[in-house]
Amino acid sequence: MIGINMSHVVLRPSFLAARKGLAAGLVAALIGLSLAGSPAIAQNAAPAAAAAPANAAPQSAPASTPATPPAGADAAATPPAADASADAAPDTRGLDQEVQGLKKDVVDLNRDLFVLEEELLFPANTQVAVFLSMDVGDFFALDSVQLKIDQKEVINYLYTPREVEALLRGGVHRLYLGNLKVGKHELVAFFSGKGPNDRDYKRGANLSFEKGIGAKYLELKINDRQRKQQPEFEIKDWE
Amino acid sequence: MLRRVCLWWRCVSTALAVLIALSTGTASLAQPTYFLLGHEAPDFALRAVAGSNVRLSEHRGDVVVLSFWSSRCSPCRTQLAALDKSLATYRSVGLQMYGINVDDDQTRAIEFAHGGQTVNFALLLDPAKAVSRRYEVDNLPMTLLIDRNGIVRYVLRDYSAKSDDLYLQQLRTLLNE
Repeated sequence: MIGINMSHVVLRPSFLAARKGLAAGLVAALIGLSLAGSPAIAQNAAPAAAAAPANAAPQSAPASTPATPPAGADAAATPPAADASADAAPDTRGLDQEVQGLKKDVVDLNRDLFVLEEELLFPANTQVAVFLSMDVGDFFALDSVQLKIDQKEVINYLYTPREVEALLRGGVHRLYLGNLKVGKHELVAFFSGKGPNDRDYKRGANLSFEKGIGAKYLELKINDRQRKQQPEFEIKDWE
Repeated sequence: MLRRVCLWWRCVSTALAVLIALSTGTASLAQPTYFLLGHEAPDFALRAVAGSNVRLSEHRGDVVVLSFWSSRCSPCRTQLAALDKSLATYRSVGLQMYGINVDDDQTRAIEFAHGGQTVNFALLLDPAKAVSRRYEVDNLPMTLLIDRNGIVRYVLRDYSAKSDDLYLQQLRTLLNE
């Protein structure tokens, strides 16, 4: 509505001329700004500008003269840009390598600290480690293991289905790590879970062992005994 | 003129007072002084009333909600139902929820789990109260929101309509991360 009404307005000739001049000036300024402001346009325009004088050269020599310097200037300006991108790429790569190196150092340091912690907390001459492994598991679904050393409960570990699955795939779980004096000791392990026919099942196994000067490794093994259709629990002493 | 200014100041001061009161109320619900806030949630493995054992560390990568409850506590039961609703909505985007029972008599928890008011998440038993002690549960119900990195981010030590809104807001924040 406003546009329609405005079309009916009669403008004075002097005002129209001034407006035309202002509009032309604005357009020229905008074009100049856009050409100067965007280097991509300037760079794309440069070959065209360079090509145009080459074609136009036979027609008019003065026309080619002003066109040549911008082309030369662009040719001089292009290599630094390429150099800048080439310089930036190695810097990033170097930084990435540095970060990777630092990550590796952190992992190595963590490993060393872990080893140091184990050596300090569980010296080899008193160390006792108990592992648990499981084979097949058709007759027994493991739920938990209670471990007693010298009639003292040292751990009561609940197994989740994921952990049991890992054991069935051949995994070995370090159930307990502790310290014991040199001499005779007794280990008792209680296994609970679901036995054959999905019945609650609890069994125990014990082992008397001699702790020497070196570290002691014991393994609780759960096997299926096919002939009896029952699970079998044994404790193996790793010499 | 002076009367108008006085009236304006009175309105502003009243609004400020209301805002402060509201923020204090919200803060008391959230209890930002909880010692585990911003720390890794202590790992545990507990037996469930029905189903398999649960270990917290196996849910790294999911947002975990732990609610400590007792069968004797009426708001706890109401809260479990409310939590169950949120689980139905957000389970598909990685929400895990566990109710940890702190009753001395575990049979009541088992009765509750097998009774009419059932929930769709695992109810865990903490008979020795080892987990409750590690989390320093001093009020029931107490709800912890653990982010995908296993960090305790929010704690709610009460249940009401207001705390439920706050819980949903915090839960959405964690799920969006």
